Amino acid sequence: MSAIEARGLRKVYRSRLGGRSVEALTGIDLRVEPGEVFGLLGPNGAGKTTTVKILLGLTHATSGEASIFGIPVGDPASRRRVGYLPEGHRFPGYLTARQTLMIFGRMSGVERADLRRRIPSLLDRVRLSDWADVRVKKFSKGMTQRLGLAAALVHEPDVLLLDEPTDGVDPVGRREIRDLLQEEAAKGRAVLLNSHLLSEVELICGRVAVLRKGSVAAEGQIQDLTTATSHYKLVASGVDDALLAQVRETGASVERVNGHFDLTARDVAHLNVVVDRLRARGASLKELTPLRSSLEDVFVELVSPSGTPDSTGRKASDR
Amino acid sequence: MRALTASIEEVFREAAARWTLIAYFTLSSLFILIFALAVNLDVVNGALAGAKLFGQTVEMGNRSIDIDRLVLGFESGFSGFLYLVGTFLALFATAHLVPRLQEKGTVDLYLSRPVGRVPLLLSRYCGGLLLAAANLVYLIGAIWLIIIWKTHVVHARFLLGGVTILFTIAVLLAFAFLIGVVTSSTGVSLMATYAVFFLAAILAAHDKIAAALSAEWAAKLVNGLYWVFPKTAELGRATVEQVSGGRAFHRVAVAQDLFAVYGSTALFGLAALAFSCWLFSRKDF
Repeated sequence: MSAIEARGLRKVYRSRLGGRSVEALTGIDLRVEPGEVFGLLGPNGAGKTTTVKILLGLTHATSGEASIFGIPVGDPASRRRVGYLPEGHRFPGYLTARQTLMIFGRMSGVERADLRRRIPSLLDRVRLSDWADVRVKKFSKGMTQRLGLAAALVHEPDVLLLDEPTDGVDPVGRREIRDLLQEEAAKGRAVLLNSHLLSEVELICGRVAVLRKGSVAAEGQIQDLTTATSHYKLVASGVDDALLAQVRETGASVERVNGHFDLTARDVAHLNVVVDRLRARGASLKELTPLRSSLEDVFVELVSPSGTPDSTGRKASDR
Repeated sequence: MRALTASIEEVFREAAARWTLIAYFTLSSLFILIFALAVNLDVVNGALAGAKLFGQTVEMGNRSIDIDRLVLGFESGFSGFLYLVGTFLALFATAHLVPRLQEKGTVDLYLSRPVGRVPLLLSRYCGGLLLAAANLVYLIGAIWLIIIWKTHVVHARFLLGGVTILFTIAVLLAFAFLIGVVTSSTGVSLMATYAVFFLAAILAAHDKIAAALSAEWAAKLVNGLYWVFPKTAELGRATVEQVSGGRAFHRVAVAQDLFAVYGSTALFGLAALAFSCWLFSRKDF
């Protein structure tokens, strides 16, 4: 059974006086499996937060279905197995870190005795042990964020929904949070990560969905989305301008860049033709590396107005 | 249940942290202390032979005042005072409960827990009401004990006054919750609730107001509003007369129809609470 499943989620926000309505989600499908770290990407207003809020029952879908481990999200019981870290969360400033975890743990149905045992190790895990009995209003943004993560984990959920979990956290803290999320995934927990930090997403997530204007513009394994292009980095000696001209005659594009060559071939067969020609003319090849597009490249291509997103929902891996 | 008790506990922690609870109880304690220390009565054979107020002897001439009547008079007057002040203070201390819950960045933390929206809202309502009840019990109970200590007169009826005050607070708090759900503003909730309190009190004279109106529809509107709104003036009177055991309470309870005062007021509160639950459960955050 999928940890998170959404089918045809659609959300239309209507203005109070019956004026303009905005379609925030146009019918998205989503599936996150246990043990998976899934990234939800998209520009502002793409529908990421709306999707997460529907999954948590904070917002009601106009149509479509969503469930957590098979329990419809409209049922509060579905949230028993969900830990949520909202963006810009505000814990009551008058509570200490320990009290915060105690209150929210109990609200998640955990017994006091269990919480007394669990909270110290959880605080230790997010490096807040020394701050356990300090009021939250004294916390820095990074500390609040780490407390938020602890609160999301306090009832040992099977699904984690995290909205910008490393927001305001220093680089060391970020790495710790990344490690923590990967540990959770290794325990079989499903993690849905909503973040703007593509480099982080690339480091943590196995699979991502890119939302654009309320629909899934692309979805797939990061490896597939950032698939190898027809661009290569070539390091070789014995290549002069005359040889470069001969390579270009094959239809390939080659440019000298900072001690190496940027080579573009049509396909693998064409690449082999280029390599044969270089070697036949005495060039010595030291390195030939396919260049992958970064997640950022893919993201920008998908969401920029000039980009050509697949609005039909066709997966990037299928392209 | 665990979740709901946690939510109620949080209401108390919040009240304490925001000084609301402390201010609420400090004011009450101050009143109790002043009463305990300032009033000294000399009771002889069931009659007041002498009295001192703030250390000053009260001139009584040669009159002998029946202590029982004196205490009853004080208790009745105090109940009337408490009805107004206690209700206003209680609303002031609890009207923020919904607007704060609905604040951006806060509501997500609560609603993402496995608690239904209606139980969550009701737990906060119960928390607010418990807070008000705790203060009423403290204030009325302490004053009652001091009266017994100073006069040896025991009027259990004095404690009854608190019941109607709490009932009024419960109804008005339900309305404050409704406005809180709609507007997410503590200020607007308070203003609207106080406005209902006073408007309802004015509508107690609906017969006279309607008679003075020339348009029939306006007269019907005034009479209609009277039945819709809580009967704040009648409840205030009922509080006083519950304590004094006066005939007027009997009149309120029987001649004017028990339902007219308590029933219609309870309906207003229940409708406000039900509507606020309905709206809260449908809201997108």
